Amino acid sequence: MSSRWATDDPETEAIIAQQKREKEQKRRAKAEKQRLEDANKAQARDATNGELGPPKKRRRLSNDPDAHPNDAEVVKIEKEQKNQSTLLRFPVGEWGPCRHVDNFERLNHIEEGSYGWVSRAKDISTGEIVALKKLKLDNSPDGFPVTGLREIQTLLEARHQNVVYLREVVMGNKMDDVYLVMDFHEHDLKALLDEMREPFLPSEIKTVLLQVVGGLEFLHSQWIMHRDLKTSNLLMNNRGELKIADFGMARYFGDPPPKLTQLVVTLWYRAPELLLGADKYGTEIDMWSIGCIFGELLTKEPLLQGKNEVDQVSKIFALTGPPNSETWPGFRSLPNAKSLRLPSTSAPPSAGNPPLLPRTRFPYLTNAGLSLMSGLLALNPASRPTAKQCLDHQYFKEDPRPKPREMFPTFPSKAGMEKRRRHHTPEAPKRGQEAPELDFAGVFGGAPGGDTGEAGAGFTLRLG
Amino acid sequence: MAAGLKHLSNALATPDQLSNSSSSIDNVPSDLETSIRCAGAQLTQAAGVLLHLSQDIIAQAVVIFTRFWLGADGGSLRIYSVKDVSAAALYLTAKLSFQPTSPRSVLNVYTFLLSQNASPLWFVRQSGAPETPPSPETYILSEGGYQSARLVLLRTETIILRTLGFDTHVALPHTIALTYLQTLARCGSTGHSTPQCGTALTPASLCHSPTKCPRRGCHLPRVTRGGVKLVDGEWWEVFDVDREELGFLVVGMKSTEGFMRAEVNQWKNKAIPMAVDEVDAEIERRRMMEEGE
Repeated sequence: MSSRWATDDPETEAIIAQQKREKEQKRRAKAEKQRLEDANKAQARDATNGELGPPKKRRRLSNDPDAHPNDAEVVKIEKEQKNQSTLLRFPVGEWGPCRHVDNFERLNHIEEGSYGWVSRAKDISTGEIVALKKLKLDNSPDGFPVTGLREIQTLLEARHQNVVYLREVVMGNKMDDVYLVMDFHEHDLKALLDEMREPFLPSEIKTVLLQVVGGLEFLHSQWIMHRDLKTSNLLMNNRGELKIADFGMARYFGDPPPKLTQLVVTLWYRAPELLLGADKYGTEIDMWSIGCIFGELLTKEPLLQGKNEVDQVSKIFALTGPPNSETWPGFRSLPNAKSLRLPSTSAPPSAGNPPLLPRTRFPYLTNAGLSLMSGLLALNPASRPTAKQCLDHQYFKEDPRPKPREMFPTFPSKAGMEKRRRHHTPEAPKRGQEAPELDFAGVFGGAPGGDTGEAGAGFTLRLG
Repeated sequence: MAAGLKHLSNALATPDQLSNSSSSIDNVPSDLETSIRCAGAQLTQAAGVLLHLSQDIIAQAVVIFTRFWLGADGGSLRIYSVKDVSAAALYLTAKLSFQPTSPRSVLNVYTFLLSQNASPLWFVRQSGAPETPPSPETYILSEGGYQSARLVLLRTETIILRTLGFDTHVALPHTIALTYLQTLARCGSTGHSTPQCGTALTPASLCHSPTKCPRRGCHLPRVTRGGVKLVDGEWWEVFDVDREELGFLVVGMKSTEGFMRAEVNQWKNKAIPMAVDEVDAEIERRRMMEEGE
């Protein structure tokens, strides 16, 4: 219904519209003229000021506390310069010697890991609660252990909301007393899963997974590989925030990748190419671990609990089916693959590459979820999605949507209490160990630990 | 520190750290300190070359080496020997890189470079490298010597780490300068400046000390040296450097050559002290000279 004042006449309307357009054009022209004038003025001023251009705001370069210029003047100058191009002031760090660990009051032990022990502590000057991790510096013939150095270096440079925050490094009385001071988090994911009666809801799994992969995506973008992702290395606080921790295995990688040790990643989370002895590998090994973590979130139980390397490989193949030259071209040339005797009747050629994992293993997972899982646990590293691709996966877009962090359930703190976290996860491999010559002849039968009778694997056993 | 800028930014020396040093508190004359630090940087460079380390690793080591001596909380030349800190800085930096090296290689190289009979370095052996190669016995590191030197190397490594608060991050300007020049070349405005960049970024300019606080913006304007006109307009704004700062740096870099000449001239008759006892002896010698006058 039109109002009494509105004209129905299309001609009048057109005229009004035309007037409006003209007005708008005039306004724009005026603004443009003003801008030009301003620019000219600025130029003229530059010409007159020449080299005597006023100093911009900068880092104080004098020790004399009275030497700073008149603040009012600075403000004025800054105002004048608004229409000049502004220079980016780079973030400026400083360095200073380590503080002493006596600045912290130790409260209780949290955990003992392969790279050192962690305790809860209070910063005496601020009262803040932190996690204090003592680095293990066993008298190595090469001096300060490179793993510890890398842990510090990568943590200092990996500033991200989903990576644990390293505040500083402090030292003790002895030369080899070195502690990392980090933000304290109440839980680790492993302890949470152990304590929970029911697994996480699908929406909660997505929230957790998105944060891990988000943090990992950042690490990979900074050329950092974590190399020991597992649930006990993922910390959570009571605000639903997840932080990737324990960079004891982390290191920078390059393009082309440098030669690396295969002795990385805790056995249950270790990618097949590592088990088969690849010395050139990349961020795909972290994606495999993400797949294992995904599986663990679904069932609360670690997905692939091998007793040793050989058993781990057989557990993997039981889940994925044995590799063939179609699903994993080139796996034959990996050092440990030579002893691998695959059944002659290999898995039936399944649709899609990578092949989908058996649905029976993940009955409650949606199709999108299963496709993501199958991608992450693809035997062929090249078939696994990158962290970035992972974040864009349909699984995170379909219902149920990820639960907002604020809605995430809270849990009673384990680490905060006098009780130690105890883990049944095996430890990450120790540095300096020799990579074992592995004989995989028993993967498909015979080996005492080889749990080869796994249902649904779909291949016959053959004694080597 | 904003994560995206880590390749562009460095920890900088504070004014306090630049105007005070642990050595000056220990009565090392400032000109002597400058000479020693400069020689130490050259020693690091020479050792890095002999160890076949790539230049970015060597340059990072020189920065770590230099940071160590700055400020009242830094290292003192009367407590730590320059040669040890140089070796440890290089060893540490290489360890964190893709080209780690062994303590044995590092110490062999340093023994050679500091040998009075064989060293090619002007501040160790004034006559320069001997014309006929001396017998290897004169610069070989014995097993016993190696064992004790290794302990010193590893201890010094930890001391450097503690002094720097374990912050080993060093951003170098080379890539950025090259990227900039490549961008220019691609735009077609100038194609011939890239070789200039190579000369402008020679490692020698890393050893002079005044602006040594490796100020990230600082290294970049080196591209201007050689007087090639790059582009019209205030190109330095691309690097977020203001003109005044740029001017200081260009002056600083241009003075490097003169500074080095003066150094060579001043030390043409005696070696620059590379160890604590030599520093002590030099200070004592200067004191005697003053009293004698």
